[in-house]
Amino acid sequence: MDKQRDFVLRTIEERGVKFIRLWFTDVVGTLKSVAIAPAEVEGAFAEGLGFDGSAIEGLTRTFESDLLAHPDPTTFQILPWRGDVDPTARMFCDITTPDGLPAVADPRNVLKRTLAKAADRGFTFYTHPEIEFYLLKSSKYGENGPEPVDSAGYFDNVPGGTAHDFRRRSVRMLEDLGISVEFSHHEAGPGQNEIDLRYADALTTADNVMTFRTVIKEVAIEQGVYATFMPKPFSDKPGSGMHTHMSLFEGDANAFYEAGAQYQLSKTGRHFIAGLLRHAPEITAVTNQFVNSYKRLWGGGEAPSFVCWGHNNRSALIRVPLYKPNKGQSARVEYRAIDSAANPYLAYSLILAAGLKGIEEGYELPPEAEDNVWGLSDTERRALGYNALPASLDHAVSLMEDSELVAETLGEQVFNYVLRNKREEWAAYRTQVTPYELRTNLEIL
Amino acid sequence: MSEQRFTLTELARVGFSDLSSAADDLAELGRATGVDARELLPVFARAASPDAALGGGLALTRQAPDAVRGVLQRADAAGRLVGLLGASTGFREFFLRRPEELVSFASELRTLPTAGELRDDLVRVATDGAVADSAGDEAAWARLRIRYRSWLARIASFDLEQPDPVAGIDAVASCLSDLASAALEASLAVARIAVSRSADTVAAPGTFPAAEVDATLLTIMGMGKAGASELNYLSDVDVIFVAAATEASDLETGRAVDIATRLAMLTIRGIDGIGNEPGLWEVDPNLRPEGKDGALVRSLESHLAYYERWAKNWEFQALLKARPLAGDVGLGERYLAGIAPKVWTSASREGFVASVQAMRQRVTDNIPDDEVDLQLKLGPGGLRDIEFTVQLLQLVHGQDDPSVRAAGTLPALEALAEGGYIGRVESAEFARDYRMLRLMEHRIQLRQLTRTHLMPRDPDDRRAIARATGLANSAEALTTLWAELKHRVRGLHERLFYRPLLSAVAAMPADGRALTSAQAEARLAAIGFRDPHGALAHIAALTAGVSRRSTIQRHLVPVMLQWFSEGADPDYGLLAFRRLSDSLGSTYWYLRMLRDSSGAAQRLTRVLSSSRFVGELLDRIPESVAWLEDLEELRPRPRAALQEETAAILARHGSSDTAAGVLRSMRRREVLRVAFASILDVCTVEELGWALADITANHIAGILAAARGTDDDGIEFAIIAMGRFGGRELGFGSDADVLYVHRATSAEPEMAQRRAQHLVAEVKRLTEEAILPLDLDVDLRPEGKNGPITRSLESYRAYYARWSLTWEAQALLRARAIAGDESLQRDFEEMAAPVRYPIELSELDIREVRRIKARVENERLPQGADPTRHLKLGRGSLSDVEWLVQLLQLQHAHATPALRTPSTLEALTRATEAGLIGETDADTLRAAWIFASRARSAMTLWLNKTADVLPSDRVQLDGVARILAYPPGSSAQLEQDYLAATRRARTVFERLFYGFAETAPPTTG
Repeated sequence: MDKQRDFVLRTIEERGVKFIRLWFTDVVGTLKSVAIAPAEVEGAFAEGLGFDGSAIEGLTRTFESDLLAHPDPTTFQILPWRGDVDPTARMFCDITTPDGLPAVADPRNVLKRTLAKAADRGFTFYTHPEIEFYLLKSSKYGENGPEPVDSAGYFDNVPGGTAHDFRRRSVRMLEDLGISVEFSHHEAGPGQNEIDLRYADALTTADNVMTFRTVIKEVAIEQGVYATFMPKPFSDKPGSGMHTHMSLFEGDANAFYEAGAQYQLSKTGRHFIAGLLRHAPEITAVTNQFVNSYKRLWGGGEAPSFVCWGHNNRSALIRVPLYKPNKGQSARVEYRAIDSAANPYLAYSLILAAGLKGIEEGYELPPEAEDNVWGLSDTERRALGYNALPASLDHAVSLMEDSELVAETLGEQVFNYVLRNKREEWAAYRTQVTPYELRTNLEIL
Repeated sequence: MSEQRFTLTELARVGFSDLSSAADDLAELGRATGVDARELLPVFARAASPDAALGGGLALTRQAPDAVRGVLQRADAAGRLVGLLGASTGFREFFLRRPEELVSFASELRTLPTAGELRDDLVRVATDGAVADSAGDEAAWARLRIRYRSWLARIASFDLEQPDPVAGIDAVASCLSDLASAALEASLAVARIAVSRSADTVAAPGTFPAAEVDATLLTIMGMGKAGASELNYLSDVDVIFVAAATEASDLETGRAVDIATRLAMLTIRGIDGIGNEPGLWEVDPNLRPEGKDGALVRSLESHLAYYERWAKNWEFQALLKARPLAGDVGLGERYLAGIAPKVWTSASREGFVASVQAMRQRVTDNIPDDEVDLQLKLGPGGLRDIEFTVQLLQLVHGQDDPSVRAAGTLPALEALAEGGYIGRVESAEFARDYRMLRLMEHRIQLRQLTRTHLMPRDPDDRRAIARATGLANSAEALTTLWAELKHRVRGLHERLFYRPLLSAVAAMPADGRALTSAQAEARLAAIGFRDPHGALAHIAALTAGVSRRSTIQRHLVPVMLQWFSEGADPDYGLLAFRRLSDSLGSTYWYLRMLRDSSGAAQRLTRVLSSSRFVGELLDRIPESVAWLEDLEELRPRPRAALQEETAAILARHGSSDTAAGVLRSMRRREVLRVAFASILDVCTVEELGWALADITANHIAGILAAARGTDDDGIEFAIIAMGRFGGRELGFGSDADVLYVHRATSAEPEMAQRRAQHLVAEVKRLTEEAILPLDLDVDLRPEGKNGPITRSLESYRAYYARWSLTWEAQALLRARAIAGDESLQRDFEEMAAPVRYPIELSELDIREVRRIKARVENERLPQGADPTRHLKLGRGSLSDVEWLVQLLQLQHAHATPALRTPSTLEALTRATEAGLIGETDADTLRAAWIFASRARSAMTLWLNKTADVLPSDRVQLDGVARILAYPPGSSAQLEQDYLAATRRARTVFERLFYGFAETAPPTTG
């Protein structure tokens, strides 16, 4: 890695980089950034950069405030949105304690640990997210809520529209940062866009998701608009999900693929889905971590609210997509609950852990859902055995609290922190008197 | 030709064991080959197993009589064939398959072939013929494998005929390594032809243009034994593949790696793939970066980048022996030059000590029980023991001294002696032991040509091994010899690693050479001493001088250093040992015991390096070390024995002050005994609680008796144990909760109260103790801090009748009378019964208990303490479990008398039996309670101060974990386990105690 490090130091000199941002993620999934001067980079490589972790959400136990950020030179990139004025670069960091152990609450470390567990069983975990977000005229909102930049719909081509330029510019920037984009299009809601990132191993994907959010926000500022990953900014428009396609590989072979099986889906694949189904309710507090997330989950439309799977069934929680025959490598399943505001490191850790559990214990896959699950009555759904995902953050937290799987995967300390943090959020929300209550109650009571 | 018959005696003299069939077989052999069997007798006599040799010869004769005849007709050739067949049934199979190869016995191998000869020969034979198929060529592989085995037979036969096989082991092992390299080279050559295609042919899958293949450099680096040129007859060969493009070409590195990967795969397949001539041995590329998930072939740059950043320490230790085996030598040299600095600085890396300990663990771990006695390689006294010690010394000293960086074990031993790091005598001695073990290993593997390190069990087989090695001529003699060898090797680590440390501090080293202080400190640091400078000073103090004491300690210290290094705090252990030796060194028994009882010495190092609590107490009662000789002495003493001693002390001493002084030292002594027991796992945490409670109760009873004297003071007086003391669940450093009760007999009530108060003050004064404080805590008395310190029984009765609150009834659940007048003790418990086991507990009372608990949770936790880490009051820890059990007792003990016990765990068991609580729930609670109790005691033992919060400092946590029997470096694991156990207990507690409902079902739609 000497070479990579030398490359970084050299590039900083050659390109006249003025600032280097060291990036890491807190437990909630917010990107944190410390800027250092070029002269400090060498020291940061050698010894890490000390900082007071106690100020960062959930990153430390209170007594463990001294932490070190170790920049990963392979993640070095010049940030394209800074242009040529004061060029700035970034690197992702691993967080350690002063004695060199990985910080227990570094989400990146949680994912690394879970991936290592999968690797012990011979699996590599690949993910491919479809990230939705809204473009608004600004972050300010009036009486009628936020104002989107356009009023187009799914796949609409808006001539001269902001969104078009916006996507072109963003995709360009992402590619400059070494993040491959699969697909980008206008989504169903006004001002809503979707950009799909290419398949990569889960750690790279999670890093990419963090970078992606920053890029989108920066491009929006550049173009005088505002981008939001809020799960459900409009009550009557679709929410922003982060449907994630995933697969396990054993060496070079896709472990979900089996020629001749139903939907070409292997036993491993079926157990993986079964695991994910069984544990979906208890991991929801992480995959859908905000009060607002549940407005998306239960807001109708395409949101998956019921625990079931289907082949190309867009109302199911887990979809086994159609793919071309002879393309065994692309066998995958799509998890549709996770939203754009999730902490990708923790969410992917739990999804993987749930799937692995299914494989390990050989869970039986229930029959697939063939109908539009939303069209069924409550009783019908109950009769078919489709449980619901938690109805609110409060409910999700209490399900998570009883989960050995979540505690084990996150580690006891992150687990405690998430519970505490989410309970606080719920408590704060509960004290609110909403416009809805005023509208419906004030005049008649 | 006339039939030759032999007498059975003759045959027995030759060494046959199955005599009658030997006679028949010899006759048949003679007939079939036309060789006079009598002339063959001396040849058979030299074979390791004449029976096997004869059986093999006969089988071959039946298959290919002419070929065998050709060999047997010449005496020297016959000797070689019979010798090999007698030592190896594996080769019999080979020659049965390929009788034409028997011609190789015709000529004698006078010297072992050189690496170059082997390589040229194997490459020539393997590539001599068409290599047709791009997926490799079975025919070429078969040629290669047959030629390899044929060479192997000749080398084995050379080995067997050596006059001194022990001395010859180096050359044979090195030649075997060369043969393996040659096989890889030949397989690579075949692979190169297979993947190349000329420009005009159609592109077949897996082929590349010949020019590109030519421009691809591939080096096969050997690790482990192959790298060290000390291969066995049958080993896995550990390899790493490095690729590059030739400088002259414009081939891209990525493309070169692709081509090289194909070459590497075919090379491996050529050696161990399935074929009509079986594979040779496993080519194991799993030591490569990222192990079996990593890329098979990497460029040089990619290798170095990986090691720079990702490699774990053990990977460096594997690289210690790297050497180019086949392929491009220049590239291999560059690889070595690149990694050498990393290998040799690994000893100064973070975590090196832990990885050495783990490495040491691997030496002895994972041997199935029934194989321990048969293992040549693993286990105490095995080959791995020698290799580990030599490697560790190399890593420690190779940092500064390149001269010890040899790959092979034997050259390394020599270099270490040359550099003065180990004694010359030791070096020579262990080199010989190592060679003998290797020779035995070679012969065992040769037998069936299998990769085994197990000495055969069967006496006949073992006899054959004995004869093949020339080390002994019977199975028994070999077994004895081997046992001696193992014994010597077991002491090796101590003699090579620890003993020279003494020379660094000796004024006049024995053999004139000494380690420098810096070298000695490097060694001490490598095994975990945090202050090697200080440690060296202690070693000097312990071993300097000519007294009997220093002489004995010079022998003891090296061994004990090794044990200290396995403890959590070696520095403290050594310091405490020095202090102990200062105070006891002149006694007649101390050094004798440590010298003669290795168990005692090892136990001493264990307690000293894991507990400051013990270290400090031992400073006061050094003579207690004597118990360590006998585990029985470490068992907590039964209550009756304690009482007897107390009675004797009271009888001997008239004055209460002198008696109390003796009683206090008795308490210190007994607590120390229990501390020993608890660290050495002689007793469980439950037994520990009983023992400490009994010692404390007995002590208080003795003090009370001393304070009262024998005169009638007109009152009865008793002491009631409460809380964990009452429940016999004390830990080290726990307070003792008590109540005092009295009853007037002849005295006026007021006078009785005054006399009782005086007694309380006396008991308090006489139990005062600086070294091992005993806090008599009376906060649980009625009215708490505002109440009188002692009450009459009537006053208690009246109080409980009028005022009693549920929490006081709850406190009484664990009341247990322990000292004073027996009638009063009995009456107190009788008085308490209806209070603590009420006929009915009203809903209101239950709510009250719950509310108080909820409040206590909130209030009693110290400011800023993390509730998840508080062992007593924290989430799911001691008090949660205890409150739940007490609530069950309050509710049900009236109806279910089995519940009437002050002990938490017993009550929990009884409640389970009575069906009041589910078994799974009870197990969860018990596990958390025991974990928290053990952790609390471990913390006191480790730190010598009482603390209720699980430490957050890694070093402290690690020390606690070690007392709790975790392996080194488990601080994070301990934390994780504790948090998980208490989290589960808390869930159960909330459900059962507060009655929190299960999670509500979700609302839908």
